[in-house]
Amino acid sequence: MSETPSRGFWAEAWARLVRKPLAVGALCFVGLLAAVAVLAPAIAGTKPVLCRYKGRIYAPCLGYFHRSLEPAIFARDRFRGTYPQNLRDKDPESWAIWPLVFQDPYRAVRENEWPGRPANPAKGDGHPNRLNLFGTDQYGVDVFAKMVHGTTIALLVGVVSMGLAATIGILVGAAGGYFGGWVDMLSSRVTEVVMCVPPLVLILAFIAILEKPTIWHTMAILGATGWTGIARLTRGEFLRLRQSEFVMAARAAGAGPLRIILRHVLPNALAPVLVPVTFGIASAILAETSLSFLGFGPPPPSASWGSLLNDARSNLSMWWLVVFPGTAIFLTVLAYNLVGEGLQEATDPRLREARK
Amino acid sequence: MGTYLARRLLLGLLTLVAITFIVYGLARNMPGTPLTVQLGESDPSRKLNPEDQERMQRIYGLDRPWPEGYVRWLGNVLRGDLGRSLSRKQPVTTLIRERIGPTLLVSGTAFLLAWTLAIPLGLFASARSGRPEERALSLLLYVLYSFPTFVAALFLQIIFAVRLQGTAWGLPLFGMTDLPPDAGTAARALDVARHAVLPIVCQTYVSLAYDSRFIKANMEEAVRQDYIRTARAKGAGPARVLVHHAFRNTLIPLVTLLGLSLPGLIGGSVIIEQIFTWPGMGRLFFESIRERDYPTIMGLTLLFSLLTLAGQLLADLLYCVVDPRVSVE
Amino acid sequence: MRTSRPVHRPWSLPSRPLVACAVACLAIVASACGRRAEEAATKPLPAAAGSGSQAATKAAAAKDQPPEPFDPPALADLEKSVTWIDRPVRDGMAILRAEQAKQPAAVPVAEALALENTSADRNRTILAALGRLPAEGAADMDARIDRHVTGDLGSTNPIMISTTAEFDILGLTGFGLFSFGRDLEPFASAETVATWQTSVDGLLDKVVLRDDLVWSDGAPITAHDVAFSYQLIMDPRVPVPAVRSGTDQMRWVHAYDDRTLVFFHKEPLATNVWNINFPVLPKHVYESTWEADPTLKDSAAHVKLEEAPVSGGPYEIVERKRGQQIVLRRRESWSRVGGKKVREEPFFREVRFRIIEDPNTSLLALKAGEIAEMVLTPEQWTTQTSGPDYYRANTRVTAPEWVSFHFAWNIDSPFFADRRVRRAMSYAFDHDRMLEKLCFGLYQPAAGNFPDDSWMASKKKLQPYKQDLDKAEALLDEAGWTDHDNDGVRDKEIDGRLVPFEFSVLVNQQPLRIAICTLLKENLEQVGVRVNVRPTEATVIQDLTQKRKFQAYFGGWGSGTDPDSTENIWATGAGRNFVNYSNPEVDRLYVEGRRELDRGKRAEKYGRIQEILYDDQPYTWLYWRNSFYGFSKSLRGYVFSPRGPYHYSPGFSSLWMPRQE
Repeated sequence: MSETPSRGFWAEAWARLVRKPLAVGALCFVGLLAAVAVLAPAIAGTKPVLCRYKGRIYAPCLGYFHRSLEPAIFARDRFRGTYPQNLRDKDPESWAIWPLVFQDPYRAVRENEWPGRPANPAKGDGHPNRLNLFGTDQYGVDVFAKMVHGTTIALLVGVVSMGLAATIGILVGAAGGYFGGWVDMLSSRVTEVVMCVPPLVLILAFIAILEKPTIWHTMAILGATGWTGIARLTRGEFLRLRQSEFVMAARAAGAGPLRIILRHVLPNALAPVLVPVTFGIASAILAETSLSFLGFGPPPPSASWGSLLNDARSNLSMWWLVVFPGTAIFLTVLAYNLVGEGLQEATDPRLREARK
Repeated sequence: MGTYLARRLLLGLLTLVAITFIVYGLARNMPGTPLTVQLGESDPSRKLNPEDQERMQRIYGLDRPWPEGYVRWLGNVLRGDLGRSLSRKQPVTTLIRERIGPTLLVSGTAFLLAWTLAIPLGLFASARSGRPEERALSLLLYVLYSFPTFVAALFLQIIFAVRLQGTAWGLPLFGMTDLPPDAGTAARALDVARHAVLPIVCQTYVSLAYDSRFIKANMEEAVRQDYIRTARAKGAGPARVLVHHAFRNTLIPLVTLLGLSLPGLIGGSVIIEQIFTWPGMGRLFFESIRERDYPTIMGLTLLFSLLTLAGQLLADLLYCVVDPRVSVE
Repeated sequence: MRTSRPVHRPWSLPSRPLVACAVACLAIVASACGRRAEEAATKPLPAAAGSGSQAATKAAAAKDQPPEPFDPPALADLEKSVTWIDRPVRDGMAILRAEQAKQPAAVPVAEALALENTSADRNRTILAALGRLPAEGAADMDARIDRHVTGDLGSTNPIMISTTAEFDILGLTGFGLFSFGRDLEPFASAETVATWQTSVDGLLDKVVLRDDLVWSDGAPITAHDVAFSYQLIMDPRVPVPAVRSGTDQMRWVHAYDDRTLVFFHKEPLATNVWNINFPVLPKHVYESTWEADPTLKDSAAHVKLEEAPVSGGPYEIVERKRGQQIVLRRRESWSRVGGKKVREEPFFREVRFRIIEDPNTSLLALKAGEIAEMVLTPEQWTTQTSGPDYYRANTRVTAPEWVSFHFAWNIDSPFFADRRVRRAMSYAFDHDRMLEKLCFGLYQPAAGNFPDDSWMASKKKLQPYKQDLDKAEALLDEAGWTDHDNDGVRDKEIDGRLVPFEFSVLVNQQPLRIAICTLLKENLEQVGVRVNVRPTEATVIQDLTQKRKFQAYFGGWGSGTDPDSTENIWATGAGRNFVNYSNPEVDRLYVEGRRELDRGKRAEKYGRIQEILYDDQPYTWLYWRNSFYGFSKSLRGYVFSPRGPYHYSPGFSSLWMPRQE
């Protein structure tokens, strides 16, 4: 028998995970998406990444993250949102570092906004070309820029809603399944009440009542109502597992309930729970798309992949509105699920046995 | 068992009251009333007197505070009266009765079809895990999963209802039936079936990936257990091992999932029903929220909640049947 | 190894009988409440208990009564004392025929069908050629047509009409005395009316019905039906708010015998002619049932009527599949009474309305020939109806419609109280870009609330606004909105606090409208104003605008038949004056406009109203929307009015299909 001390459950799981090429590939893809989301204004935009104007250095591109981050001096000097010509005119000594692609995710680029460039084509003429890598939508807004800036939503939408749902669901389900008795009764009733309240009513109510409803509110609601399935699954697993030998053994050894739940039962109960969680993260993107279809998408102007697909429906001749966001959604869904699959195999304690 | 059932039923009733109270409160407090829908006309010659509005509000019972409205609704329900839809002028029970059949037709068939396909697919995937054919299958299922229903519906409509129209493969574009009410039963059944094909397909393919992956994940977990090794050691063939030993032990999560899907069967899919003009419950619910049709919203919520609770109770009872280690305590 | 079952203490209930008692009590109380409320709803209303001062409730109660009983003078007396002026009784189809006879010959039909509608000229050619009424015997009288509606009927009762679908459908089954032509001039319908006269003093209208009118159940249509309908509409227990506008301006409607009706007006107004036009219900059907159930929808009898209503128009409803389709069939008793032909029968034997909510599905249905007509969205017009797959079986036409859209600014909010700020908004918006890029060049710019080619428009030819950012900024600076705290957003000190210029604009969940509001947001950000675009449900917008709880919204108005109907939008305190606009001169001009009977002088007053409104800019008027229709190539006879191809006389009745050879 080997004498190497065990590294602990999660560290071992991680070590096993990185040995799978597919899972690693998927993780890298997610990492790439994260990088794109963070660097979006530097990849596609009409505001300079860095510029020197009237002796000082500014970063107007931050305005894409939040309007208030855009330096006020440009508003005062009547830039009116158009940087290339104005920088040159108002300060001949200015310089600027521009994003890789000069396109805006929220509006069509006008004629001569970048000296020498025509306006973005609109209607059906906007097929992919040198200036518009992924084409333009029916109003002339560049699709590539929309997709780059929409990556934030695509990445986070699932994590926020599923993270919330998974946390609540696992806690409630574990408590109910493990302790039984009145704890189980209470948690089951709470689960049932939340399960039966239609999320559509909640979403509509929020949108109607809030002054500035954002997509994050919607995702929070989806998370706060979507944990019931996970709770039931977890509870089922815990019901089954609390009678097992290793739980008996742990209890005999004097471990408290929290330790038993986290260290002993949960890793064994993860398998069926991981499926809805990983699917859920990916499906949140599609949920956002469906909500856009029904009319409850993020407040405009929005640059989400889902809204692109929605536009595609009324403009089928513009195939680029379907292909690019569709592929991106597919790859993201695939990536999240591959990570999930890898996690599942990595956390299965039986695998250790199988290898030996 | 008897006391357990009685307890669950009583608690179920209380839960129902809590749920309907919450939903009623939300619906009544959302901006907009059934009147604002009716009076929202773009023709300015339709005048709006404040007195007229007040009068209409009284007729609809909207001038009283909402808890009172809730108690009134509850009273009516206990006497078996679900009320009358404010926007459609029909009793809520009639509306539900008209719509539940078409919904079950599509979602019930899709449900059966999805699981009939998913179980063998999942078993196959867990048996051939890691091999190229399993990877390819997974990939295909993920492609299907990432395709939003409304885009798929449109493509299907174009292919089957437009391009292939008139041929043997052609399918109707929308609606539930084209025949007049006096056509023969067999002809009408066939007509409805043809209309239902596209909506059923749209609803099935979505769940294929999820269901089969679910089965695969649970199977992989079950397959690693000791008793499987024992069974193999005893000489049981791979099929018997898979189906007779492993699969049966994945039944608890499966039962949970089935129990969770039950209310969805009645709920229908709003998007599919809207695209195909399918007269289902999903669309009814969506429209009644939009029209602030409180009796219908409450009637549907009651129905869904009843089914959900019934589904949960059933799942809990089935746990005991399926796994002897679990008791009702 | 089997483990023994662990012992858990079951969750213990308080004693069960107690709980059962509690539940029973709740049930009894609740059911009692339920019953009481039902009784209250059907009794005539006493003054409401609770909130509100005594005076208010008294006033409300007074308005709630039906019109005071009126003792009409005997007919003989009326004939003696009153001088009558004859008014036009016309046949919409005859008017159209006469008009078309005067038009130059159009290109042959085959040539028009082969054209693709890509320019205004071609549009005109197609409309001229395909809009012709049929020559004798050319129409297929056995034809069926599949029409398209986007929503189901709420009710088949004509006095409950409120949606477009109901207008379309119940327009064919309903009975009416009056109509108006393409020029929106009213006339009595020759199909139902024998003579129409107005008294010289403008207070009376006398109508003599034809004697060959029959309901679909065989009973004759008489003047008593009209008088009964008036009573029903005016009764406060009957929930018909919209139709009442107009009828409540009359004093009384009296049926002297089976054919003679007199309408009594309160004042001699130019708008009286519109008030006498209201939907008619069969008295013999409803007189016994309505008092028991004034809501007209609850009792068993009324529910049966909803399914199979008695119709007074050329068509009757024969099949109704909720949410799917409604089938109308031409009825014999409209055109043949007593064995003789008394009226022209409509061209189509059967009209089927197919309900398709989703615009993409309906376009596919049009292309597949499953529907014969539909309204096209601007996107569909631009990209999806120009290829051979569309033109194989369909053609398309467009015509101006008097429907306009605007941004509405709430004058009671701190932002838009100042006229300069509102004009700054209009200057900041890039109208040209909207018209060209978002509306694809399909719509006409709007300069004010009346269409340029209407009789009531201002003669000064007001020019639509064009974007001028410098002017906008100057106006904002002048109004006190400058960037005091140097954060890039304009602000102003109000009540001691620095308020940033940031507001929300409510808009319907439709892509074009959202895109226009997004353009506004982009434009205003260029001048230091922040906008939040809030797409919300239609009901929420209605609710918030009616309560005046908004800062700005995107809306539109269809045109009524008479400019006086816009008083409801602009008069101080009027029902649809959501922006709280108040101008005593405008109020005065509306009252005068109603009283003025000379068309030319009326036009001056409304023209002046338009100029004042244009100066004040309570709205930023954006565009007049054209109607865009796709029609099957088998259809002929569609002619457009400012209210579209159907909502005037003859409207849908002019459509026909040629007889197959």
